[in-house]
Amino acid sequence: MAERAAAIVSTIDRSVPECEAPPRIVKFRVNGREVAFGPESGLTPAMTLAYVLREKLGLTGLKVSCDEGACGACTVLRDGKAVLSCMTLAVEADGHDILTIEGLAPDDPVVEAFAEQSEPGHGTALQCGYCTPGFVMTARALLDKNPHPDISEIKEALSGNICRCGSYQAIVQAVLHAAEKIEKRRRTP
Amino acid sequence: MIVPFTPRTERRFIGKYRPKVDGREKASGRAVYADDLTLKSEFPGLLYAKVLRSPYAHARIRSLDLAAARAHPGVVDILTYADPDVATLKRTNAGWTDGVDTVSYRKMMWGTFRDRIVLGDTANWVGDEVGAAVVAETELAAEEALRLIVIDWEILPFVLDPFDAMKPGAPLVHPDITQDNIFPPDPFGGEEIFVDKGDVETGFADADVTIECRSVYHNATQASLDNWCCVVDWKEEELTVWSNSYAVDQTRMHVSQMLGLPLHRVRAISPYVGGQFGRGDTGDQPFFLFTALLSRRTGRPVKFRHTRRESFHDSRQPAIYTAKVGAKRDGTITAMHFKSVGNAGAYADHTMFALKYAPKEITEVALAHVPHVRFETKGVYTNKLPACMMRGVGNSQFNIIFGQIVDVLAERLGIDPVDLAVRNFGHEWESLPDPSLSRVLSEGAARIGWKEKRHAPGKGALIQGRVRRGVGFSFHPAWHAEWQETRRGKVQVSMTLNPDCTVLLAAPSVETGNGSNTCNVLGCAEALGFLGVGLDDIRWGPTVDTAVGLKDCVQTDSAVSYLQSEVMALAAVDLKRQLIEIVAPSLGVGEADVEIASGEAFAKSSPDRRVAVRDILLQGDLAPITVVKSRSPLSTKTGVPFIANFAEVEVDEDTGKVDVLKLVVVNDCGTVMYASGAEAQQIGGQVIGVGETLSEEIIYDPRTGVPLNFNWIDYRIPTMADMPDIEPVLLEVWKGAGEYGACGIGEGTVTCTPRAILNAVYNAIGVRVDEIPATPEKVLAALAERGGGTSKAESEAAS
Repeated sequence: MAERAAAIVSTIDRSVPECEAPPRIVKFRVNGREVAFGPESGLTPAMTLAYVLREKLGLTGLKVSCDEGACGACTVLRDGKAVLSCMTLAVEADGHDILTIEGLAPDDPVVEAFAEQSEPGHGTALQCGYCTPGFVMTARALLDKNPHPDISEIKEALSGNICRCGSYQAIVQAVLHAAEKIEKRRRTP
Repeated sequence: MIVPFTPRTERRFIGKYRPKVDGREKASGRAVYADDLTLKSEFPGLLYAKVLRSPYAHARIRSLDLAAARAHPGVVDILTYADPDVATLKRTNAGWTDGVDTVSYRKMMWGTFRDRIVLGDTANWVGDEVGAAVVAETELAAEEALRLIVIDWEILPFVLDPFDAMKPGAPLVHPDITQDNIFPPDPFGGEEIFVDKGDVETGFADADVTIECRSVYHNATQASLDNWCCVVDWKEEELTVWSNSYAVDQTRMHVSQMLGLPLHRVRAISPYVGGQFGRGDTGDQPFFLFTALLSRRTGRPVKFRHTRRESFHDSRQPAIYTAKVGAKRDGTITAMHFKSVGNAGAYADHTMFALKYAPKEITEVALAHVPHVRFETKGVYTNKLPACMMRGVGNSQFNIIFGQIVDVLAERLGIDPVDLAVRNFGHEWESLPDPSLSRVLSEGAARIGWKEKRHAPGKGALIQGRVRRGVGFSFHPAWHAEWQETRRGKVQVSMTLNPDCTVLLAAPSVETGNGSNTCNVLGCAEALGFLGVGLDDIRWGPTVDTAVGLKDCVQTDSAVSYLQSEVMALAAVDLKRQLIEIVAPSLGVGEADVEIASGEAFAKSSPDRRVAVRDILLQGDLAPITVVKSRSPLSTKTGVPFIANFAEVEVDEDTGKVDVLKLVVVNDCGTVMYASGAEAQQIGGQVIGVGETLSEEIIYDPRTGVPLNFNWIDYRIPTMADMPDIEPVLLEVWKGAGEYGACGIGEGTVTCTPRAILNAVYNAIGVRVDEIPATPEKVLAALAERGGGTSKAESEAAS
């Protein structure tokens, strides 16, 4: 729990002498845009990346659900790799490229494949939709690395994400369809 | 091989495989939920509330010292039980709302058990909201301040087990309600013996064989991803509550009645909700009230949200069932006697709904042809997490014993359990065999390979020297046909036709993920087929707001998928009548001679005379035409269809681990409203079903009553890697009343999963595990009891 963790850190902070190093400015890129947090921003060392992206930058696509790295709903990409933003401190983003679901192109093939998934036998790839941005970003990272995953590779890559509505079977299909879309677009630019 | 569902009646929109209407919005992360809607940037001056939670299973606060907490930087105010705002609040019950419909305080369903005191001085489980709520500039400051409150606790003895709780001298959880922790009789559920048809003793005397069984259902939790939260802004003119309540009307009623505001001064708003599954199932959660009071005292909007740990505030009603069943040698059941004990936890909630109401319904719709039936139950208070609804109410708990007796009795009689089921069960309006049950079971059996794969218990092939496979099934009557929804009262929709023949649809129902919004848009397009309206011509919104003035169709019972579409079918008739009045003069014929099809009006007497409805409207006064329609669910008793799950499992006899290889989920739906959505529910429900059966369990420290795994690392929800292949099977055999005659299916997809898996485990290893979760430890213990181990059993078989 970030609040609890943050509470512990802030308690510790008050017990140590004033830090003498000059306050740092934390800078990173979010969806291609440079953001900077100076001393006046209220950013603390204990703040998670998830908290800063949602509460300070208004990027609410990612969700904080378990807040301890168990569900994957907060997944974003850091330098192209899927990370759990609830388990990443905002200061750890310093100097890195962060991609949130808001940074995906409007015709992103993974988003399209999740949205369209509906063929017989598998159901839809999303129901309540709360876990979906996390699944989309995890799938995005998988396909960037492995453009033609088989079902077992998809299950392996996405088994850190929880969908309580249980759309797993359709999510696998959506990732397969996304791979097909990417391949098709690659061939017909 | 995938076999798509084939509709009984081909329709243009209803019953199709197609994407969800909100698919794009959700897949792109643009869908807005309560926690997204209530950022500080959107609510200048926003404060954050946190509530004190008990570290003890049973304790009373003697006094609070707030000095340090009040002095903490950022703290704005603290509300405590001693405050008159709080102390004057009426006692309530978390089961207030679920008459399925919005109900007043006076008419609350389980009013016998008004056991909940908002922010009282006594805690009844570890985690109970108690004593004080802090409001501060940040969530962190509020949380820190809570820890600075100095509390003088009087620690009271506690009890966790319902059988211990019933013993003389056990600690009393609610001594003002019961002196032995056993729930007193209540007006809805009746006495302890709540079904007594015929005479069970006579039935047992008539029987050639009798069997006795016992099954235990634990308390799993709903685990919606979207932690419950709200912002309340109590201004002089109006109190507004934004939240992820799934029942905005009831939230408004609750706030109005508890805080003494007229309904027009309370506005409740819910956007998309990230999963429901029965959690809380009411608008009367205390957090709405203390958040509201803190907003009034500070004059600022206040946000309250649960952490994941705090979201473990509700669970499925755990039950321990025993059954005695008698039958003739030919398989005809003569008598059934069920006894159950439910562990209600700290508050009554819907315990008696689960223990009495649901099984009582079963008697009518599945046990109607069994001559002698008795049900008796005890609901018992303990100091555990309160238990309530979870994707069904009492159905799963009953099914785990129901499916067991069918399996055990069939084995005793040497007949196939499918045949035993079809011979005995069906509702009172039909003669046996029930066509729905017969078809559901034959379809499920065919898809799992029942005849080929089933073998004598524990006598299947041994794979790799240690693994055995088995198959099992369980079945249940569905519920939530229209006649079972009459308690809701009116269902309302509004359709506004713009002059260009596009449509503004208001069919309020909070979208919690089950696809009712897609069903509603499909239903609207279907109803307006005469205008040639397509899905893109319909505007609908995900936000439900009581200011619109239409009752929201509460997202329970999996029934919203068809209830509002039924009303739209009627609204369309009204709309067509109004349009005929408008276009008749243009055609120069009487209204009786006008017909409208595919957006064109024509004279029936001379079909060549035709005009586009759109053209006529655009030449007119351009006033949109609004039809608001209310309709009560039809009470015609149509019975219900059946549902079944078939499972194939693999059990490792060395480790005790159960792997589910395949599940077949069969639902007779009456009418499939939205095929992709229905299959998503059938497949999706298995995550809860498999989780409850094999891995999900709330674990308590028996010495302290502290729950040890209120997190998603130790409370183990299945992930993609844990789930088997699932084959959804949609059928349309039964039909209810109304245009579509559909039946809710979402809850029922979970009901039969545990028992289907447990029967398959028995088929695999020849020894029963009847207490879920069926963990490796329990399976190994059962194997040890069987004795002999694999090698001995094998050698016996060989000799």
